[in-house]
Amino acid sequence: MDLTYTPEDLAFRKQVRAWLEGNLPRTPLRTLDERKAWHRKLYEAGYLGMGWPKEYGGGGARPMEQAIVADEMAQVNAPAPTNGLGLGIVGPTVVVHGNEWQKKRYLQKILTAEEMWCQLYSEPNSGSDLASLRTRAEDKGDHFLVNGQKIWTSGGKVADWGLLLARTDPAVAKHKGISCFLLYLHQPGVDVRPLKQITGSSEFCEVFMTNARVEKENLIGKLGEGWGIANLTLGYERGGRSLARITSYASQYHRLVAAARKLKRNGRPLVDSPVVRQKLGRIWAELEVERYNALRVLTQLERGDHPGAGGSLTKLSYSEFEKRFNELAQEILGPYGQLTDGAPPELGLEIDTAVGEQGTWAYAFLWSRAGTIYSGSSEIQKNVIGERILGLPKEARADRAGAAR
Amino acid sequence: MNFAFTEDQVLLRNSVRGALDASCRTADVRAMMEDPQGYAEPLWGEMAKLGWLGLPFPEPYGGAGLGLVELAIVLEEMGRAAYPGPYFATVVLGGLPLLLGGSAAQKEKWLSAIASGRARLTAALQEDSLDGDSAAIATTAARAGDGFTLSGTKRFVPWAHVADAVLVPARGPEGVSLFLVDPKAAGVTLTSTRGMDLTTRWFTMGLDGVKVGADALVGPPGGAASLLEAALRRAALGASAEMLGAARRSLDMSVEYAKVREQFGQLIGSFQAIRHKCSEMLMEVENSHSAVYYAAWSLEAGAEDAAIAASICKSYVGEAARKVCGEAIQVHGGIGFTWEYDLHLFFKRAKSLEVMYGDAEHHRELIARHVTA
Repeated sequence: MDLTYTPEDLAFRKQVRAWLEGNLPRTPLRTLDERKAWHRKLYEAGYLGMGWPKEYGGGGARPMEQAIVADEMAQVNAPAPTNGLGLGIVGPTVVVHGNEWQKKRYLQKILTAEEMWCQLYSEPNSGSDLASLRTRAEDKGDHFLVNGQKIWTSGGKVADWGLLLARTDPAVAKHKGISCFLLYLHQPGVDVRPLKQITGSSEFCEVFMTNARVEKENLIGKLGEGWGIANLTLGYERGGRSLARITSYASQYHRLVAAARKLKRNGRPLVDSPVVRQKLGRIWAELEVERYNALRVLTQLERGDHPGAGGSLTKLSYSEFEKRFNELAQEILGPYGQLTDGAPPELGLEIDTAVGEQGTWAYAFLWSRAGTIYSGSSEIQKNVIGERILGLPKEARADRAGAAR
Repeated sequence: MNFAFTEDQVLLRNSVRGALDASCRTADVRAMMEDPQGYAEPLWGEMAKLGWLGLPFPEPYGGAGLGLVELAIVLEEMGRAAYPGPYFATVVLGGLPLLLGGSAAQKEKWLSAIASGRARLTAALQEDSLDGDSAAIATTAARAGDGFTLSGTKRFVPWAHVADAVLVPARGPEGVSLFLVDPKAAGVTLTSTRGMDLTTRWFTMGLDGVKVGADALVGPPGGAASLLEAALRRAALGASAEMLGAARRSLDMSVEYAKVREQFGQLIGSFQAIRHKCSEMLMEVENSHSAVYYAAWSLEAGAEDAAIAASICKSYVGEAARKVCGEAIQVHGGIGFTWEYDLHLFFKRAKSLEVMYGDAEHHRELIARHVTA
């Protein structure tokens, strides 16, 4: 057990910090082109696709180096690369399950943001029970014909391609008849509609597919292997960015402490109230425990172990923490926490005034409700933990036997 | 960066677990709960032979020269076994402050005696007030010739009835000093108080003009505050490690039970109401593991955040362990509420440690001071 960074890691951290100081955008990125330009700059500096194989444009870097870059970016609140799902999910899926042609065709363009990606998994009637999905992909000889509807598609508005799960064999059990495809979105049979969320913004979309076409070359893995592939990509979603996420929480926490110095009750700053101090002390302890957890995950990744079902524990813990943290922030800030156009600037209460509404406490509070739903709700995570880590018996289910429909 | 145990640390855990599984089964624990002395002398001798008693002390004192991570491993296993006895009192409350602040002669005398199994120690850190630090110490130390005269009342002194020496903080004109007191000295009275956790023994220690020599002073006169803080951090860590062990044992028992208990024609572990509860318990146990071993490493390495890591650990694990041990009773239902079933041993052990060595309120205020400084 040694929780220090090596001299090499520290030197790399310094190098990343210096690069960010010199290259961080001075003004918020407003257009897609500006976001893509920032993405390309990060890639050219060697800070994207760091763990991907070198022959496809990746950096072949260690997990620690990837964690350091993400962490340093979080320290300075740097804008995220724009092709997040391409980098986090589609790319790793193609690296593991794609064939040589697919790797050469798609990976580099994800890294350069020349092609933007989204993930077409959830459906209106298939949320937690993803394997019950109904979108059909029929084999038409030289291509597949896709019909169905997807929902909760982040980045659908700006995506060129989608990683699609569709049913290819309705006659077999539901987990066995699903396949994984790459679907080109700019075609007549695909209709992408933004979905307005409780935040008032539209990160998510609905995607309607009516006789949409997928070429045979864009089947990932073999027919019927889609469920296993999807579980792996959900695993990526659960494992990554662990340390950077905590660093972002920590910078928000310090903003909250600053706000608690400025706001008063009974003529005294909130930060002098023993009640508020107890709550601030408690939530900092919880935040630090999440950081320790992230270091454990990083240790596993450095050894080449996939966190597996352990990722469910980490995700459950930090997503529930994020809700508690934002609830406390709201409690401390009172009505100032609810302002979607920002608190009066002279009070200096917001998380980040540079990025507009997304830098308000109101937005962070509303957004915190998403973390315990997306990528497997807390309830699904607890099922996974119970069955796969604790070895508890599976529940009796009505859909275990028989064909999908 | 490596947040994992070394091979030696894994071997140490296996060896401690093996020894306690053999000599400290819950039947043994229950026998000790009925015993007036409260612990088994043969196991104490075995612990000396296995090197546990001298674990954190340097080799010249007969110790193993290991660190706080290893000590936390041993203590976690003791919590897991609900081990009754003065190990924590002797090694953590008595030995570590002497190691940190004792004179060469004091270390030579006491650390060697602890490591060989000859001496048991404890510390009298609590008085009438609920404060978790030295600020409220009212016991007085008056100069008397070369030495001092101590007067006051100490509460909740663990295992004082078997201690050969008690570390006693007391206030003099120069500030708080720490003394080694012989509990058999004239003017010392020990009164047993019975807490709900019968694997621990508490005593009220009266000091009525107790005379001690200059050689009883640990650290500089009036300058014990920082030594006491360092000692309390280690006590907080050690207590947390024991609570973690109690929590993990309670979780293990719950999972095993949920795999065999049937109701409504099904194993109760297949119900989400039970499975989700067990998953939440595991999350709390794993988070507590992170908190304990991070703090152990941090204190051992003298890391920048060592002080705060100990407070984070104690405040987090105290609450988590109480929750996990309590939910274990809930998972078991009626059987978990019976005296015959073992769960209450762990529930009570965790509960008694939660309130000692700084409760959550104390440590959260320390954290708040740190983050608002």
